Amino acid sequence: MSDDAPLGTFEEQVLLAILRTGADAFGMSVRREIEEVTGRAVAIGAVYATLDRLEAKRLVRSFRSSGDGRSRRMFAVTRAGARALAASRAMRDRLWRGINLLELGGEH
Amino acid sequence: MHGTALPRLARALLRSMLHGAERDEVLGDMAEEYAERRGRRGALRARLWLWHQVLGSVPGVIGRSWFGGRTGFESEANSMKRGGLGLESWIMDARFALRGLRSRPQYVLLSVLTLALGIGGTTAVFAIARAVLLEPLPYRDSGELVHFWNAFDWSEAELAYLGDDWGGFDRVAAYTSEGVFMRPEGSAAQLIPGLRSTAALFEVLGARPALGRGFQAGDDAVGAEPTAVLSHGLWQELGGRRDIIGHTMQLDGTPRRVIGVMPAGFWFPDPSVRVWLSTPVRPDNGAGNYALVGRLQPGRAAGGMAEPLRRITSRLAEQFTYTPQFDKTKHAQLTPLGDYLLGPVRPALLATLAGMGVILLMACANVATLMLAQLRGRESELAVRVALGAGRRRLTQQLLVESALLGLLAGVIGAGAAAAGFTVLLAALPLGEMAVAAHADWTLFLTALVLAFAAALLIALAPVFSLWRGDLREALSRARSGGIGARGGRLEDLLVVGEVALAVLLAAGAAVLIRSVENLRAIDPGVRTRGVGVLDIAFSGDVPQEVRQQQMLEMIASLRSVPGVAAASAVQRLPLATRGDNWGIQIMEQPDLEPTTTALRVVGRDYFDVMGIRVLRGRGFEATDQAGSELVIVIDEELATKYFPGDDPVGQHIASGTGLGWMRIVGVVRGVRHSALAEPGGPGRYVLYDQYNYTPESAALVLRVQPDMSVPAVLHAAAASIQRSMAAVAVQDATTMDQVLALAMGPTRRIMQLMTILGALALTLGAVGVYGVVSHFVSRRRRDWVIRMALGMRPGSVIGQVVGRGALLVGAGCALGLAAAAAATRVLASLLFEVSAADPVALLGAAGALIATGCLAALLPAYRASRANAAAVLRDV
Repeated sequence: MSDDAPLGTFEEQVLLAILRTGADAFGMSVRREIEEVTGRAVAIGAVYATLDRLEAKRLVRSFRSSGDGRSRRMFAVTRAGARALAASRAMRDRLWRGINLLELGGEH
Repeated sequence: MHGTALPRLARALLRSMLHGAERDEVLGDMAEEYAERRGRRGALRARLWLWHQVLGSVPGVIGRSWFGGRTGFESEANSMKRGGLGLESWIMDARFALRGLRSRPQYVLLSVLTLALGIGGTTAVFAIARAVLLEPLPYRDSGELVHFWNAFDWSEAELAYLGDDWGGFDRVAAYTSEGVFMRPEGSAAQLIPGLRSTAALFEVLGARPALGRGFQAGDDAVGAEPTAVLSHGLWQELGGRRDIIGHTMQLDGTPRRVIGVMPAGFWFPDPSVRVWLSTPVRPDNGAGNYALVGRLQPGRAAGGMAEPLRRITSRLAEQFTYTPQFDKTKHAQLTPLGDYLLGPVRPALLATLAGMGVILLMACANVATLMLAQLRGRESELAVRVALGAGRRRLTQQLLVESALLGLLAGVIGAGAAAAGFTVLLAALPLGEMAVAAHADWTLFLTALVLAFAAALLIALAPVFSLWRGDLREALSRARSGGIGARGGRLEDLLVVGEVALAVLLAAGAAVLIRSVENLRAIDPGVRTRGVGVLDIAFSGDVPQEVRQQQMLEMIASLRSVPGVAAASAVQRLPLATRGDNWGIQIMEQPDLEPTTTALRVVGRDYFDVMGIRVLRGRGFEATDQAGSELVIVIDEELATKYFPGDDPVGQHIASGTGLGWMRIVGVVRGVRHSALAEPGGPGRYVLYDQYNYTPESAALVLRVQPDMSVPAVLHAAAASIQRSMAAVAVQDATTMDQVLALAMGPTRRIMQLMTILGALALTLGAVGVYGVVSHFVSRRRRDWVIRMALGMRPGSVIGQVVGRGALLVGAGCALGLAAAAAATRVLASLLFEVSAADPVALLGAAGALIATGCLAALLPAYRASRANAAAVLRDV
């Protein structure tokens, strides 16, 4: 799996959800965050599969927390992950440049 | 977390899809959210959400574990060690096993094909055996049904005399098989297999018609309206109209009212019978050839009927006198109906099923030895993996997955083979009419898969055992020292000894059957079968006797003009195939002869010529023997020796109690086997259709076909010519005397053919097994030998050691197999002819065949070992 492959849509969503949940990013919280923001139901197995894949790509790292007595596998976005997100957004911005959807009536 | 537990199934599925590290935490989180959703949105919505989570997780997990490619160096946080592994590890093992198998295509091909063969064969025979033997008989409480002794020898007079007085029985019915002449509108006359029975038949069997009614009391009274019950198949063929009930059909030349249609799946006494006719029971009819079937009173068993049977026989003895040969008052006994109907096919089916099972077991043993050898080859790899932390459970799992994959593959191919081979086997097994009961259906695939997984488990047993017993750390140290393990391989030895024993078992079974068939072949049937064709014909019942005789003679004459026919004749009962028609005999020159009966055959003039029956004395029938001329009769040698010992019978006179008077004996011919090859024919005599005052309603036309013509083609032309010219004659069953002879050998010949194929297969599998184990033995010892050969050991003694090793294994297997065979071939007893089940020639022959093939199989690796290049071997390790 090459490192400079562009992020998939779901991968991007997972990365962003990790950042949004901040210090409280574990499988279920990431899943809930995606559901709440996108309004789309997401299966927990799919989330973990993607988290594992992102970790294998070194875009995410995981560690064990031991806070309130419950040890959890927590996730954080690595620097490479942040770079990938930024690149993905920059690429999208470049693609959007000069596009006016109003002409197509797409926004209504 | 402890508020509401997750439903069990969903929880188990989720558990299997998560790894150990996060399993508990995620399940806890899921339970929490599930409880919360239940409280907020209700149980149904929560459940829907939960199942969406479960099912939605499947693709991710499969994708991750199948394509994800794990390195084994993942971060501590998602370590897969804790809490064991779920579904994912199995998927990974399957991937690993597939990769491994792909790199060993020969091993896979050999294993899968042998397994598929065993699985396919066993599945197909099992499907047939299940349909024929395990399906319940289509009768209510068939355990209460019994068949009477002296089957097809009960007369209407006896039935009428005994009346309804069947103490100990609920009811008893009498039946007799009969070809029924039928001519549906607009088509040629047919002869359909049917049954005549007394009125109680359907009540005894406890079978209800699907339409109309069965026979009821009074239907068998003299003068009652003739009635018929149709089989479902015949009803369909006649148009399948419900209003057929009450209609009158012309059956056997008699108008009969159709009163009922039996449901599909009903049969009695075999699935070929298509119509059941009521028959009047006339007290003055001393013939009838009936068989009796009865239902025991509730609570009685077939074994506890001695007292009621004694009453019946003593009543019979009061009224009737019997010849000692057919004395009904002796040896009265009841056979459970199931045994009577299925008894003849059971041993053949069970023997074939066992044979296929043995092949499957041998295939399993073969694959297991292959797998063991693979495992030994990977010993150092496995040892390294164990040292790095792989558990034996995980390695076991991998072995299981590998054998399951092989099994699955073999199961799929085997199911295909079973479906394809089903009809072939059905035709090859001597099932007679019962073959109709067997159909291939989807359960075939189920059986194949179940067998495949059972086989897979069996195969994995030996490697897993060796994995758990062996000390892998020791293997690691050995690997470093060059891998010389003189010991070991004991499990393989055991497997191959078992395999050889199984092969001996099968080969012995085949051998006793071959000996039986040899004995059967050695019997002279008294007729020459080559080039003789047979057409079965029947007259419609309403054709008067004089017309029948006239038409019979015309038919024989017209057949001579069919192109390709060298000679034509007819007989009312074909040799080697039919029983009955034993008639009383009186001899003018011996007035005080005790009343006895012998076979009487009504024949056409050239009968002896067509059938190749030699005339030993005097003459056969000649053109001068005509309707108006002197009445003549020909007897066979058995009648001559029995009734005219030391006397010349030619010129003496015989009468047959038919009112025709004395007939002069003009010749003596060879005796023939009347009913079956293995049964002595008994005395017989021949009269001419031209002169005899009775032409039976059915006959077999026999044709000698010119040597350069095809028998079936000539038969076809002859049948067509009869159908054209004789409207009141049904032509059925064109066959050849060669086929009749083959059939007369009984089921033995066909079972022998099947078992011979299976025996050859077993020999091959056994040889492959011996070869594999000996090769492996050689590869373990090779290093040893090259050193010793370098020091002066002769190559010949290496060959001796290796072959000796093979011979030891084969010998041990043979001893075991012979002991098993001596006991097991007894199931074949009813199929054997003049051979003991423990026939020493057959048993030793089988063992000899295995020792020969086994030693040959050992010779190849031995030769290779003796030619090994020392430098290459020593460098290699």
